[in-house]
Amino acid sequence: MTDTKRPREPFAPWDRRSLPGLFDVDETAERIGYYKWAEIKLFEALGGWVATVPELDVKLRLGTHCYHHAWHADLFDKRLPELREMQTERLTVPPNDHMVEFFESMTEPEAAHMTIEKLVGVYRVLIPHKIAAYTYHRNGTSEITDMPTIRILDFILQDEFNDWREGEMLIQSMIESPEELERAMSHQTKLEKIMLAAGGIAGPGSIGNPYVEVVEKN
Amino acid sequence: MRKIFPAEELARDSRFIRQSNEQRMGDPRGARIAGGNTSGNLAKLTPGLPNGPDRARALMHGIFVGEIQALEGAGRTCWDFELGDEVPLALKLDMARQCWDEARHCEISVSLAEHMGTELGEYAENALLYEAACNPDPVLRLTGVNRALEGLAIDVFNTMKEFGNMAGDPVLEFCEDWMLADEVTHVKMGSDWLRRLTENDKDRLDKALEFQKVVDRLFSFNGFRGEDDDSPIQLTRRFRELAGFTDEEIDEIADMSRDARSEANA
Repeated sequence: MTDTKRPREPFAPWDRRSLPGLFDVDETAERIGYYKWAEIKLFEALGGWVATVPELDVKLRLGTHCYHHAWHADLFDKRLPELREMQTERLTVPPNDHMVEFFESMTEPEAAHMTIEKLVGVYRVLIPHKIAAYTYHRNGTSEITDMPTIRILDFILQDEFNDWREGEMLIQSMIESPEELERAMSHQTKLEKIMLAAGGIAGPGSIGNPYVEVVEKN
Repeated sequence: MRKIFPAEELARDSRFIRQSNEQRMGDPRGARIAGGNTSGNLAKLTPGLPNGPDRARALMHGIFVGEIQALEGAGRTCWDFELGDEVPLALKLDMARQCWDEARHCEISVSLAEHMGTELGEYAENALLYEAACNPDPVLRLTGVNRALEGLAIDVFNTMKEFGNMAGDPVLEFCEDWMLADEVTHVKMGSDWLRRLTENDKDRLDKALEFQKVVDRLFSFNGFRGEDDDSPIQLTRRFRELAGFTDEEIDEIADMSRDARSEANA
């Protein structure tokens, strides 16, 4: 018979989660507001582009991915009140003006012959930056106090990786000449420069700071 | 990218052929005409009709291009309106969900068209459905698309589901039933948003319902969709009720169809 009075530790031996995390409640809410803003801008753009792309497979993928990012926005929107932000619109903002400029440039291509530019902006620039920022947040936040955010980010990252792979394959399938390759690279560089100025999708510090500050000794 | 993308610029590959509605209705292979399906000689779409299978093939192609335009329309609703000022986030989230559903419907209907022996581009496309999705008022747009056109889709999918059952085609019946479930959801979205966004605006509600009638009338096809036994596409009361239509509203669509038929016969 099981001895029900025999004590056990609250954490199993294999459970190495720890309390400390990089972000407090306010910082977490602020970052999630930035994420939500970016997800909204992205799903709006994907939806708008559907009518403008002639390639049938791309058209259908954009329609599908549009919903993925809308769902992410909804998940972030629902998390904000749990972080004491009841007016969720208040934090649903870009981290800086460069991020606004990024989305304006990313959504500029409209013509039917510019599918490569549309895909490059999303799948070679924005989504890789989202994956980086979400991964940094997911790995850095407290695994106990902020587990609801980790759970959300895990679901979202699964979508992001799948969508990135599909988008990248569409781009590779559409680049058939050196000129098209040049177009893709040139557009990517243009957008990356704006993203660099923005500091990532959550602004400077989107993926932390890997450099060590060395104090000079006298 | 512009707000409000014109129907004549919808991006298509070389297989698609764009025609006006008048040209399309005059196409002897079209769903309405094939099989002598004029207003004076209507017949419910069944496999037993002399041209029943051909009419079903044409209709499936029409469903496919309709789904593309429904996808494009829902996508544009995500983009065309400003959050907060014009529409709430929840409405855009519904439209994004509809994008995913319509993308799947495109995949289903193009596969079913192939299953039925039809090639992409075999029939022409007109942009009537997308044109309804260009209305600059989001309430009118949702009412015209989600209640009128998606309502028509309920009737069409139920008719095709029955066709599949009668033809002994379990693939067609299975797929149409799944699409029918999605369409009920889309029509209910339209009914819910119409109610929520016009709660304190009777004038806007009236305008939206009038726009719905205009679209419903356009797609009544001289009595093509109705409640009479010989209506090629049967008006589906049960699913429309699930989607938020009142008995009076369904009666009105049935009457509209009879009127359209009488006018065509006059």
